[in-house]
Amino acid sequence: MNGVKSESQISEKPFDQGNPDYLVQMLDIHKWFGKVYALRGVDFQVRENEILGLVGDNGAGKSTLIKILSGFHPADRGEIHFEGRRVSIHNPKDAKRLGIETVYQEQALAPHVSISRNIFMGREPTRALGFLDKKRMDAESLDTLSKIGLRLSDPEAVVEALSGGQRQGVAIARVLYFKAKLVILDEPTIALSVKESRQVMEFIKQLKAGGISVVFITHNIYHVHQIAERFVILAHGEKIGDIRKEDTSVDHLSEIITSERVS
Amino acid sequence: MDTVKNAKGGVDFLGYFMRFRSLSVFFVFLLLCIAFTVRSPEYRFISRDNIEVFLALGAEFNIVALAVGMLMICGEFDLSVGSILVFCSFVFLGLFDAGVGVFLAVFLTLGVGTLIGLLHGLITVKTGIPSFITTLGGMLFWRGLTLFWSQGFQRPLDTSQYPLFNESLTGSIAGLIPIQSVWFLGIALVLGFLIHSHKFGNWVFATGDNKQAAKAMGINTDVIKMSCFAIVGLICSFVAIMQIVRVGVFSSRAGDGWELKAIAASVVGGTALTGGTGSIAGVFWGALIISVIENGLVVLRIPYYWTFVIFGVVIISSVIISYLTEQRRLTMGAERDQGASELNSNNRSP
Repeated sequence: MNGVKSESQISEKPFDQGNPDYLVQMLDIHKWFGKVYALRGVDFQVRENEILGLVGDNGAGKSTLIKILSGFHPADRGEIHFEGRRVSIHNPKDAKRLGIETVYQEQALAPHVSISRNIFMGREPTRALGFLDKKRMDAESLDTLSKIGLRLSDPEAVVEALSGGQRQGVAIARVLYFKAKLVILDEPTIALSVKESRQVMEFIKQLKAGGISVVFITHNIYHVHQIAERFVILAHGEKIGDIRKEDTSVDHLSEIITSERVS
Repeated sequence: MDTVKNAKGGVDFLGYFMRFRSLSVFFVFLLLCIAFTVRSPEYRFISRDNIEVFLALGAEFNIVALAVGMLMICGEFDLSVGSILVFCSFVFLGLFDAGVGVFLAVFLTLGVGTLIGLLHGLITVKTGIPSFITTLGGMLFWRGLTLFWSQGFQRPLDTSQYPLFNESLTGSIAGLIPIQSVWFLGIALVLGFLIHSHKFGNWVFATGDNKQAAKAMGINTDVIKMSCFAIVGLICSFVAIMQIVRVGVFSSRAGDGWELKAIAASVVGGTALTGGTGSIAGVFWGALIISVIENGLVVLRIPYYWTFVIFGVVIISSVIISYLTEQRRLTMGAERDQGASELNSNNRSP
């Protein structure tokens, strides 16, 4: 395994710190949870306006890596650069301030609350004395939803009444409205039907069309292969592959994940 | 107010009722009033005396129910409202008897109530134990303390030297409308605007509905919850003063049993036990339903103990109705939006 790692390091070595082509660079990230060595020196980059698939089996470290980037856990070692600048991300607010937004399946929305109130949750536009500007909330909600190709008629409808795909759309529209530069989607298609998954992938394409970079974390290689331009594969807390779409196929990717090395 | 239209473009009355749950609660209240009027001897229910009693006495409980409803939307319970109330009326009596000026006494009593609420909130959010337990403890603690200090005796309170003060809490407008009901309406409007039109309300709903999501969006859910507890404490202490001034006697049984009645009023008004769902308008009518049942049964000369039996039936049936309409609304919603998404995909296909 070490041999594989150094191989991938060699292929990845010639990047400069603060390279402006990269939106995000995570360098030599280490993370321990008690005695569990969850991330073992991972380098991870996301380019400007790129859809990146982050894949790997359960326990590979995908979520841990992303939680470090979105400020839920601190890294024990390593550095993060954003737009060519070294940054420290201590909490989710720091990440949001940089323009890094994470969409978690089923955790992101309040089901009994309306679509527009969900989209503006915590960042409500207000009139005097903190009263909500409901007209603006409703109009801008529909506007933002239509930007990712989701046309809904009633911004006052509760989120619970929406289909799974539409809910993901609402969660994605929310990050779009707040000018995200990088959107991290954690298993966005895991509980969805085929049709709904297709809808979510359409949303992702619209994000890219809007100039936003997307990290798509999933087990589902078929979904991610349709849409991502590059794949980063993790196994046991290490990066075992970093492959452009042109150089791989669904079969090749699943081969890497199951054998845990680049063949 | 916008109307809810169904897929065929017509006005969907069922959808309307589900969306404006408070309206259906209002109709239940109206039906109860009509039934009590028709059944009461000599239509005594709508006699001026009874309406005055209902508006004045009922309002005290109703105000407390509003605050409890708001706290339930935030996803927490308060079983201690009756005990905060009795403790605060004892505090007010003590301060007043000690010769503290009446307005300072009011101010300090409101402060004590707010701090008690804040303390319950603090214990709940910092330890992570259910508020059901925190406030169950609070219920026993504050009433126990009151009983200990008062020795269970009744004690008179005479505020007649402050007519303006008395008038503002127990008087009436034009000798007709009890001022308590004006307070009830006013506090309902303030809380209603706060919950439904202010960003604080959006945070309350988000916190009660999905705490993780609210936190992820940068809402400080602990502060929101503690604020709701504090508002409950503040309102209980206010009603405590209002009640002891009206009665003129401190009784260690004040507020007894209000905690469960307040939860009942919230539930009847469409507030979900799990948080995130409800409206102040719903709780407003829900509280009136609970008060009118108590009042109506007295007017009908039905033995008081029947009120508990009837409360039991009302609570269970209203939760069943909530549950069924919720199910129904979900399936309807899914149908409607499926239609919408099909429409959407048709539009998008080249």
